Amino acid sequence: MRAVPAGQKRIKHLRLPEFTDAKSYWDPIQNVEVVRILAGEYYVTHCEEMITTVLGSCISVCIRDKAINIGGMNHFMLPEENRSNGDDSPRRLTADAAYGSYAMERLINCILKYGGRRENLEIKIFGGGRIIGGMTDIGQQNIAFVRSYLRTERLAVLAEDVGGDLPRRMAYLPVSGKVLVKKLRNIRSETIIKQENVYREDLRRSSSQGGDVELFGDFG
Amino acid sequence: MANILVVDDSASMRQMVEFTLKEAGHQVTVAEDGQAALAIAKGGLTSDLVITDVNMPNMDGITLIRELRSLPAYKFTPILTLTTESTTEKKMEGKDAGATGWIVKPFNPEKLLATVNKVLG
Repeated sequence: MRAVPAGQKRIKHLRLPEFTDAKSYWDPIQNVEVVRILAGEYYVTHCEEMITTVLGSCISVCIRDKAINIGGMNHFMLPEENRSNGDDSPRRLTADAAYGSYAMERLINCILKYGGRRENLEIKIFGGGRIIGGMTDIGQQNIAFVRSYLRTERLAVLAEDVGGDLPRRMAYLPVSGKVLVKKLRNIRSETIIKQENVYREDLRRSSSQGGDVELFGDFG
Repeated sequence: MANILVVDDSASMRQMVEFTLKEAGHQVTVAEDGQAALAIAKGGLTSDLVITDVNMPNMDGITLIRELRSLPAYKFTPILTLTTESTTEKKMEGKDAGATGWIVKPFNPEKLLATVNKVLG
């Protein structure tokens, strides 16, 4: 077994203030600090770190400023709230898209906050697999959302690996922009499906609530 | 029906908020950052309500609120922020600048309309 590297190789203390608490481990084979994100999370770094996640029908968007080498990745899906009971009113669809936009905006805003510029953003999209049989292709809905969002924002996609019927394990190195994707043929999809279902239930609850509202004054 | 000025650097957010407000019968003017919104306001547009993002290029939402409050036509206009920022420090900064309320994204259309109706009275 290889020893944990000397303190100076680990760079957790250099992280952006938003992410100082993020859990990570040292990968002695890749020789890099690894941060694993789950559904609903995102991570941005300017350090030589690797961000990893496992995607079923969810989407991960990798974004970096290629001029100053800061970037990150998110992991999300749309709530597709109530569509199963037929409510596809524009207002309901707006609530779904509002959540997706929020997941995208959090990531982009964080990169811009630390000096990134929109014109330097390099974007890659992954995931959106059809790993659950059924009438609706949730993965495809997620892919369609991301494409439409980026088109509206006039942000170009440099590379993508989306759709298909296998889950993906992926890793992103924001400083270099390198992405590693592995299609998971031998994993039991049930675990991923279960995790994504729990996440979707959470999303449905939170998207029907929306973010907090605070009024500064007396509005009866 | 009210005249509402919506300020956000994200084109998709502008579209969604505009759609939600127009569907409820409001008139909407959009601006892509604080600077553009201030130019519109100084150009003579009066509004019953302003909804602004906080993190934007050229001029952020907090600066926009301060600038708008110095214009006679916007001294008492309700101004809501609609932002991913949710820290108490940012909220207090917004309140001190003259914000009427703080809405954290993701926005929910019904909740946004309920808040709009509340501040319009």
